Amino acid sequence: MLNFKAKAAFAGLTAATVALTLLTAPLQAQEPRTVVGERYVPTIWVDPDGCEHWVMDDGAEGFMSPHVTPDGKPVCRRGNICGIMPTDQFFATNQHAINSAGKKRLQEFFKSANARTFVIAGHTDSRASDEYNVRLSERRANAVARVGRSVGARISDVRAYGEREPSVPNTSAANMAKNRRVEIYCLR
Amino acid sequence: MKYFKAAVLFVASLSVSACGDISDKTVDQNFGDGSSGDLSQMTAGIWVDPEGCEHWLIDDGLEGYADLRRTPDGKPVCNSELPRNTATGPYKNGSTFLDVL
Repeated sequence: MLNFKAKAAFAGLTAATVALTLLTAPLQAQEPRTVVGERYVPTIWVDPDGCEHWVMDDGAEGFMSPHVTPDGKPVCRRGNICGIMPTDQFFATNQHAINSAGKKRLQEFFKSANARTFVIAGHTDSRASDEYNVRLSERRANAVARVGRSVGARISDVRAYGEREPSVPNTSAANMAKNRRVEIYCLR
Repeated sequence: MKYFKAAVLFVASLSVSACGDISDKTVDQNFGDGSSGDLSQMTAGIWVDPEGCEHWLIDDGLEGYADLRRTPDGKPVCNSELPRNTATGPYKNGSTFLDVL
């Protein structure tokens, strides 16, 4: 068993060395080079959700591409998350049943949001396992979706992120409370 | 009608050929297509793709633009209740250009 582990580790090491040499080879060969290109400076078009897109008109052609952060999220001008429910006000710890006061508030929210359809996304803090948190956030997001559907709202998607998309680092009790949330996106 | 089409084509070819060097890519380059001005002022409609995901759609005269609609988490807006392969909304606001050509 030990022998096998050592072999595996050795194999891993060799693979790493090979990868490293592969990486350094083109670096050593690199010389200063001239980039041949044409200057394309875009302007920004803001979509009805408030999110930015790069746009250029090149004469007969037009080009458009989304303005995103390095992790793929759209860059938006107004906070286009239309509802953030701090879960502490709606759920007991580790539970996914919404208390009656919370249900009433949510029903009012869905009725007055004036949206065509909604997307619900559940989030937790980083305590407990990743797997448990994904399931907890899914149960909570589904509970919110059920309240929405009960007042006739159209829910086009329910998403469960668990602890994987914190809005702030999980470094204090206050921050963890901020991360325990269900986000509601309103699509008009 | 045929003459009109020819005239439109002629105007279009003029405006295209006049654009040998376009350094400012942030404004509409084609005059006579019903839209000109800053690209940030364009209005969009919604086009639903064959699988039910929504895209912003803009007809800016001679040019057309489309881009994916996303929620703040970066995921696409899908399961649309709008009909698929269909464009809705004011996406042609920027165009008087005859698209039947």
